[in-house]
Amino acid sequence: MAWQRVASRSEIAVDGVLGLDVDGSPVALYRLANEVFATAGICTHALAVLSDGFVEDGKIECPLHQGQFDIRSGKALCAPATEDLRTYAVKLEGDDVLIDMEQPAAYPPTVLNPVPDRRAGGNIPATDTCRINATNPDPERPLAERYVWPAEGLTRIPDWVYTDPTIYEREVEKIFHGRSWNYVALECEVPESGDFIRSNVGPTPVVVVRANDGSINVFENRCSHRAAEFCRKLSGNAREFVCPYHQWSYDLHGNLAGVPFRRGVDGKGGMPADFNNAQHGLRRLNVTAHRGVVFASYLEDMESLQDYLGPEVLKEFEATFDGRKPRLLGYYRHTLPGNWKLYHENLKDPYHATLLHTFLVTFGLLVAGNRSLMLSDRTGRHGVMASAKSERKSISTDAKKEMRAYRDGMTLAESRFMDFIDEFDSPWSVTMATIWPNLIIQREMNTLGLRQIVPTGPHEFIMKWTMFGFEGDDDEMTRHRLRQGNLMGPAGFLGLEDNEAIKFVQDGMQHVPGRQHLVKLDPVVAAGTSDSLISEASIRAMYRHWRAEMGL
Amino acid sequence: MGEATLTRDHLPDAAPPDSRLQSLLLHHEIESFNARYAQALDEQRLADWTDMFTEDALYVVLSRENFDRGLPVGLIYCENKRMIQDRAFALMETSMFAPRYLRHIIGNQIALGAESNGTVKSRANYVVLQVLLDRPDATLHQVGVYYDVFRRVGDTLKLAQRRCVYDNLLVPNALCIPV
Repeated sequence: MAWQRVASRSEIAVDGVLGLDVDGSPVALYRLANEVFATAGICTHALAVLSDGFVEDGKIECPLHQGQFDIRSGKALCAPATEDLRTYAVKLEGDDVLIDMEQPAAYPPTVLNPVPDRRAGGNIPATDTCRINATNPDPERPLAERYVWPAEGLTRIPDWVYTDPTIYEREVEKIFHGRSWNYVALECEVPESGDFIRSNVGPTPVVVVRANDGSINVFENRCSHRAAEFCRKLSGNAREFVCPYHQWSYDLHGNLAGVPFRRGVDGKGGMPADFNNAQHGLRRLNVTAHRGVVFASYLEDMESLQDYLGPEVLKEFEATFDGRKPRLLGYYRHTLPGNWKLYHENLKDPYHATLLHTFLVTFGLLVAGNRSLMLSDRTGRHGVMASAKSERKSISTDAKKEMRAYRDGMTLAESRFMDFIDEFDSPWSVTMATIWPNLIIQREMNTLGLRQIVPTGPHEFIMKWTMFGFEGDDDEMTRHRLRQGNLMGPAGFLGLEDNEAIKFVQDGMQHVPGRQHLVKLDPVVAAGTSDSLISEASIRAMYRHWRAEMGL
Repeated sequence: MGEATLTRDHLPDAAPPDSRLQSLLLHHEIESFNARYAQALDEQRLADWTDMFTEDALYVVLSRENFDRGLPVGLIYCENKRMIQDRAFALMETSMFAPRYLRHIIGNQIALGAESNGTVKSRANYVVLQVLLDRPDATLHQVGVYYDVFRRVGDTLKLAQRRCVYDNLLVPNALCIPV
């Protein structure tokens, strides 16, 4: 038991709520008359900060979707909240509020339909029935005890976040297969019925196919009979999918259509009489699309993509996908020997842009003084790194000293490849949108791409880049995009440096293990949006979200 | 008398060109070009590599996936020698990557014959092996086919087009030196 003082009671208004960060965990403190209660600070439904919510009649109402929880017991009271809030024990010593993060509140909960504690004898008090539900079982507690976040909070990231196989498995379950929309395709890759591509949701192979009714369907690339990954071609057109092993066939919606020798031969063998095809289709995913970009989710009750992105990130999404129809220009695919989150972090880290990418600075694409923004959505999971190209001008000597290889007189022989044709309704010439958990939307001036992260383990991921232009581009515009493509990808002037830097980070953790990363830049912004390039506030915001999703 | 006429008819000057010899010379010329090309890249002499292209040369490195589907995106996409120069310059002067050795091996050359405009189309297989300084193994970094168009500039052959089409779709991390 570790009681710690976290606040004064007088700081909390009666029928008010106060948000705190305790050892890096968001906590909400409530005051009902003279009593004080504590719960986890983030709603269990969507990522919302409860201290922005509304207290009434002993209940906290989430500001985002109006789910309600009982403040004393953490019990979820109304939709869309279904999972109870974690509670913490509180005691008062004079005006001091002390809480114990390892102990739930002892307050007898108000339970309409009491559930018997099937795990009697465990370390949770029998009265704490509010903690019993399918998604918050006991085995999670030892994990949270084994993986302890550094006491300094979000300014440190422990190596196990990037290197541990148990953490990786939990990420697949809680993030990629959890409450998330995962990018899977552009609609223009499957324009006709029967057109398909192989894709992935997290590490899981899926098939994205357009059915005869025009709908886009996403299902696992795993035969429901013996698990064979039946679709082997990167893309193509099919009337049905037939697993080559035993010829089980599936329609374009993933329904099981035929099982060879289902009734046996000569009255012998075959499936049981009650075998029902309808129960053995391919595992189908929830699908949504916006402006030609297709996303899939393992959850049926996902919020809309628009709500998932939030208004600010949606605005940037729609600045790139501005209504013109995307046209496929080709792919890059590469492996990257680093943890998949490092790629998000790299694009939530504007600090590196002028320091690693000497090319940008050398040719005046980006200097530390450029107008820029590092946006985080309110959950911290998505971000947009944005900057506006400036005309090349002399920069001050001080700024030069800080940047390794700025040299005057360096010019490109073919400088038109760096031209920016202002085709977007946006103040930014460059935006890199990190859409949690598996997508980066690259708008690097006029070279456009979707980068899809396919993790293969804690130490490596595959990156698939789908490069595109728009219908209506003339030949010269297409060639301009292709020329500017030299900046990005695994051989790009900038892209190859990012891949190398991320590899170096993973190498460092593997060769000197068990330490922490330091992400302290820009302390004025604890976590979230910053208008300074010299900031890691967006990385901190991402880990606030990650920890909530992972329960760590 | 008849014998003398016969001898004169077979003097080398008057003989029709021996197409086998021509083709052998051309093959040798391309083979020696490719050996010098590989050497320039292996030794990371990228300025020398740049000089092996014509002013209007197209140099593209693209995946077989893109090539087969008619998709134009390349890992490297240079529409003329100036862009090839910029590539060489940026890699040598501004790019950050771990030190490495690369070995380019070119074989199975086929010259597809001279065109009437003086260009020569040819193909060759290539393999690029990469050695990083902290690993004992040389890894197969890229394997593919060059689709080439050579043109004679003065006395020497230069590349007017080299499209490097690689079969291993997943590039291992980064391509730091051209192929």
